Amino acid sequence: MKTTVVGSYPKPKWLLKMIKLHRDDRIDDRVMDEAYKDAVKAVVKDHEIAGVDIIWDGEMRREEMTSYFAERIEGFVIYGEVRVWGNAYYPKPSIVGELRYRDELAVRDFLFLKSVTEKEIKVPITGAYTIVDWSFNEYYPTKEEAVYALAEVLNREFKELVKVGANYIQIDEPAIPTHPEEIEIAKNAVEIMVKGVKAYIGMHMCYGNYRAIFPDILDFKVDQFDFEFANRNFEDLEILREYDYDKDLGFGCIDVHSKRVETVEEVKRAIHMALEVVEPDQLYVDPDCGLKLLPRDVAFEKLRVMVKATNEVRSELGLE
Amino acid sequence: MRVISTVVGNYPRPEWFRDYLRKIEGLQKDLDVEVDRDVLKKAVSEVVNEQKRAGIELLTDGQLIWHDFLLTIASRLEGFEMNGLVRYFDNNLYYRIPIVKGKIKRTKRILYDFEIAFEIEKNVKPVLSCYTIAKLSKNEFYSKFDEFLWDLCDAIREEIEELEGMGVEFIQIDEPSLLYAEKDELKNLEDVFKELTSTKAKTVLMTYFDSAERIFPEVLDFGFDVIGLDFVEGYEENTRVLEEYSFERINVGLIDGRNTKMEDLNDLKRKFEEIVSRGEFKEVFISPNTGLEFLPRVKAFEKMRIVSKLKEVVS
Ligand SMILES: [Zn+2]
Repeated sequence: MKTTVVGSYPKPKWLLKMIKLHRDDRIDDRVMDEAYKDAVKAVVKDHEIAGVDIIWDGEMRREEMTSYFAERIEGFVIYGEVRVWGNAYYPKPSIVGELRYRDELAVRDFLFLKSVTEKEIKVPITGAYTIVDWSFNEYYPTKEEAVYALAEVLNREFKELVKVGANYIQIDEPAIPTHPEEIEIAKNAVEIMVKGVKAYIGMHMCYGNYRAIFPDILDFKVDQFDFEFANRNFEDLEILREYDYDKDLGFGCIDVHSKRVETVEEVKRAIHMALEVVEPDQLYVDPDCGLKLLPRDVAFEKLRVMVKATNEVRSELGLE
Repeated sequence: MRVISTVVGNYPRPEWFRDYLRKIEGLQKDLDVEVDRDVLKKAVSEVVNEQKRAGIELLTDGQLIWHDFLLTIASRLEGFEMNGLVRYFDNNLYYRIPIVKGKIKRTKRILYDFEIAFEIEKNVKPVLSCYTIAKLSKNEFYSKFDEFLWDLCDAIREEIEELEGMGVEFIQIDEPSLLYAEKDELKNLEDVFKELTSTKAKTVLMTYFDSAERIFPEVLDFGFDVIGLDFVEGYEENTRVLEEYSFERINVGLIDGRNTKMEDLNDLKRKFEEIVSRGEFKEVFISPNTGLEFLPRVKAFEKMRIVSKLKEVVS
């Protein structure tokens, strides 16, 4: 039973100011790079004080989860932003040529993080299905072909990560539960992405209807699924029970859409509910999703409560 | 055969207007803050001019403050409350679900943004919807769907009368949900749509996101002057429809409004000629299959250019 995070963490306010200055050309790349590194150290410290077991760098350099990767992969261009809802927009990439590996996606971030912490590290990367689903496809005759081509690119990145010492990769695929009719494509994509990758593989999914992708996803070649439960009142644990779920479970038990900090008691109750479905050594306790939209002090407090609750359950069960 | 270039409805907001809305409304669910009329007018005229510059003949106001796509109409009627976020058909776009909390009533003009566009330019068509709004809303008030639909129909009908009074030539009614209506439901819908189409203005039914073979022949009795079909999503099926049924005025949605890929003009021309050869049309409108808000603004403009170039080569 370990505690972890999904990936993102609120950026320090000073970093947001630096990013803006950099965008306006008022500070140079070297200064900006130093700022990113200092921000990672600050975030790591927050995670260490909170006591989280497996951490990531809080995604200080990532603005969002599609275009950040698309910009670094051959075959994508970004013409501009499109609306998602209300006043929220994202830079939606277009696939205009053959998708090929160009540059590392998370190797540098992993190496830097490794140099500043003794903690275990998880590397989250958006999966092939989700990136393609959130892009325009001008090049490939079908979406399926685009997904598989991108899966090959990510497979190469995963191998590079393993080469430099990463042993835990999390594939973020929030788009999968929104298209249950394409679950077969998603499944094949996973097989391509993880082929020959000697690491522990998790898959994070939020949004959508989980019931619609069960039991199909149980055949995915991953070691762990990470779901949001808190946001859905833990009702979806029932689905896992129904299908005799036997993979490891990333158990989202902290609501990232609410500023209210959970109580230790509440989180402990949730963990006990999860332990009715999986064994303690299969359980990874974490928030529902990335914490980036919360105020930093709230995000920190939520992590602290999560760790405290996990520790208390551990000692109650005699697992130290 | 007269050929007219047009667009379906929504258009990407100018960047400065986007920033303005974000500033006055924020990112949370409590949107629909009253926008300063002069600011809105500036944004609408920018988008209207952009369409003209691209060579579009029958314009729209761009639906620049339609946060919830067609469901925005509900937010402007009494009886609805907007809440929760739901995916808009098969798009990566979300809208707040209108929840029916009381009797539906029209208490003010629905299309106040269209009114602004109409001051700038007379050749603009307003966009409304009825059945789709009823289908995508959550009814917590009426005991029967039909009562809800008829009250909604009455509200839309009032708006249409006012638009007619203003001297509007075309009124477009978007009904993507109609494509998924059951056969016996379609029969019952005849009266609702007849109510909406009994106006001096010419009415356009716009369907998109799918092929429309399931709504034929019933739709022919709904009283629309123009029927719009999506030939990007349903080329084969919709072409077959034209072979089987005849009507005089059609809107051909042939340019993909949901992909940045630019079509080949010769390919479009071949398809267009194939489509119109299947019927005897007096008037043919060419447009993208959907609104252009699905695209980054530079690409939306390029798509309109393709529409007008196609119009030039086929007429
Ligand atoms: Zn998530």
